[in-house]
Amino acid sequence: MTAPARYRRFGWLAALSVCIVLYVMLHLKVNAVHSEVVQAEREIVRLERANMMLETEFLTRSNQVQLARLNRINFGFRAPDAGQFIDGERQLAQFSKPRAVDAPTPIRLAGLTSTDGVPAFPKLVSPLTGEPLDAALIEGAPPSDSDVSRNRATPVGLGGGGGQVRVPLVSLGGDLGQ
Amino acid sequence: MSTLAAAPNMRVRSTGAGLFDHRRRALLVARLRLLLLMLGFVVLALCALGRITWLGAAKPGPRVQTMATLLLPDRGEITDRNGLPLAREFPAYALWFNPQAMADGGEPLVRSPAQVADELRKIFPDLDDSEVAEMLASGKAGYIRRRILPEDANKVQSIGELALEITRETDRHYPQGSLAAHVLGYVAADGHGRVGMEAVLDKRLLDPAKRGEPVALSIDARVQGALEDELERGMLSVNAVGAAGIVLDVDTGEVLALASKPEFDPNQIRTSDVVLPKERTDAGEMPAVFNRLTNQVYELGSTFKPLTVAVAIDTGVITNLGRRWQANKPIKVGRYSIGDSHEIGETLNVPETLIHSSNIVSAQIAGEIGGPRLHNYFGQLGMNEAPYIELPARGAPLGMDGRWDKTKALYAGFGHGIAVTPLHLASAYAAMVNGGIWRPATLNRIEPGHAPRGRRVFKASTSARMNQLLRLIALYGTGKNADAPGFRVGGKTGSAEKPGVSGYRRTTLVSTFAAAFPMDRPRYVVIAMLDEPKGTRASSFQRTAAWNAAPIVKRLVSRVGPQLGVLPDASRDIDLSDVRSLVGE
Repeated sequence: MTAPARYRRFGWLAALSVCIVLYVMLHLKVNAVHSEVVQAEREIVRLERANMMLETEFLTRSNQVQLARLNRINFGFRAPDAGQFIDGERQLAQFSKPRAVDAPTPIRLAGLTSTDGVPAFPKLVSPLTGEPLDAALIEGAPPSDSDVSRNRATPVGLGGGGGQVRVPLVSLGGDLGQ
Repeated sequence: MSTLAAAPNMRVRSTGAGLFDHRRRALLVARLRLLLLMLGFVVLALCALGRITWLGAAKPGPRVQTMATLLLPDRGEITDRNGLPLAREFPAYALWFNPQAMADGGEPLVRSPAQVADELRKIFPDLDDSEVAEMLASGKAGYIRRRILPEDANKVQSIGELALEITRETDRHYPQGSLAAHVLGYVAADGHGRVGMEAVLDKRLLDPAKRGEPVALSIDARVQGALEDELERGMLSVNAVGAAGIVLDVDTGEVLALASKPEFDPNQIRTSDVVLPKERTDAGEMPAVFNRLTNQVYELGSTFKPLTVAVAIDTGVITNLGRRWQANKPIKVGRYSIGDSHEIGETLNVPETLIHSSNIVSAQIAGEIGGPRLHNYFGQLGMNEAPYIELPARGAPLGMDGRWDKTKALYAGFGHGIAVTPLHLASAYAAMVNGGIWRPATLNRIEPGHAPRGRRVFKASTSARMNQLLRLIALYGTGKNADAPGFRVGGKTGSAEKPGVSGYRRTTLVSTFAAAFPMDRPRYVVIAMLDEPKGTRASSFQRTAAWNAAPIVKRLVSRVGPQLGVLPDASRDIDLSDVRSLVGE
């Protein structure tokens, strides 16, 4: 056997050994991952079952018959009547009161209209064409100092020309629900 | 060597050749031994290889359960239309006594049965400790308790008796308790459903391919809860023996709530819920699983009058609502006569007839329609067969057989001589108010746009007119007590005497209120029925529907209207301008 042939032979053997070692490592890795997956699946099953137990317990404790009894006997609730329902934001705005002269400026919640699923205020439309009115026409000229002082007496929620003001329902006066 | 040592004086014949032979033989023996050893190893290796091959190729591996299999319930879940679980498989713990647990042939318990029973009673205060001690002493396996809570299971483990085993079992659990019990039914010990949708959907719920997906019913748990609550309250306040109610979507036929009282708890079925002793059934009592809404037929009385008027308008018998009919002379029919409980007036027009619920005028209208035509219309409204619904318990109507003559029509015109289930009435009212289309009632949720086509019974114009008349009854007539403010309720009372052995029994009534709302665009039909109500302080000592069934509808509509998307609006109502003047002051 010539020297190159011998080297080649050793080379093949070395390559084969490396492949075998790599294969064994890969195999072990695959088995390890498989074992982890099985463990994770078992954990998922356990948690799903625990979740269902808790959900069922919650549903059982809060069943409709129980809630109806609690509402009527313990809390004395009754169904709201027609006067306690609000038909849209315009009717909601009717609950607002003119702000006192020395009242603090209401907190303006920037971006509330575009996030958290809060719908935008309906746009003012022309009664003739049904098209939205030009923003410049609604807002008019930039407010002067005298306009600002006049705006302080406008109702909260109707917009004083300086952006939208949303008032939490709980801050409104009046009995809104029973 | 031993030979040489044992015989030192022996003569050695050939020293060199002998030694050679001896060596060769020893070498051969050694090789033979080595060969045998190697053969042994080869056999061992082959055995090991064979074993490995068998393990790898032939031996069945441990049963691999995928996550999906483990999470698949034994029986499918039933939910309401919004996905709220109404019936589901629930892993439960049971306390089982296994005398063989120690497996040493000795005593099954470490301590005495009395001591163990005493320990158990500390965990379960309602346990009969003497009975349990007897069971433990007998050495027979059995359940000590069928269902225990997980925290109690831990306490039982801490007693430290191996024979007290906590076995894990799956249980059919109804989280809402008795809610919608007649709709759901229950699962018997054999694992199959009974009575309600558990029986109807049995195959589907047990099918491994489908049971992973919950089945959604048309029921809305909130509406069902409100209906049962109000029926229970109404029933108790007038000492009725039973009650039934339904909320039906008029455009799709979906049943949003269906209740029959008294109810049962499907979590804890008792024998008396299913079967009653003969003496009690002979006395007219029915077991709790009996569904009064779909299975019991009643003469529903005056609630039929709007249907009669609708048929009259639809057939052209009534072309003028202002036409007046005599109302103070009872109508003679053979030996009997049809009259009113009190004289309402000399003459009445159609709206006044419904508002005051006059039997005399209703009978006259039915007489003009004629038996065959009235029978045909009632048949079209589904009253000639058992009601259309999935439930197995459905009562066949009485009084629809054969050809109707005029006499039959006179009585049927005000709801006598024909007995139907309250569900029949609900479907008929739905057809009357929804534009004239009759659709079968269903307990399966219908996807939007997939409602059955149904069949046209009334013209749309007839339906529109009836909506006005029903609203008039609730505004000015016997249905005043059902007029929930802002919900534009319309409906008709019916208080019919129950038939007995010798004619109608004046003391026992069936009070019904059949309503629809909102009448400017009817969406739901509501029926509330009380079986044998008594006159109590709560009903102002009255037994008629206006005083007991109508208030139930009023309270119910106020509660469920907003949940069903009907907001009360006092500024909106059906246009009554063309009929209002016919009613008078």
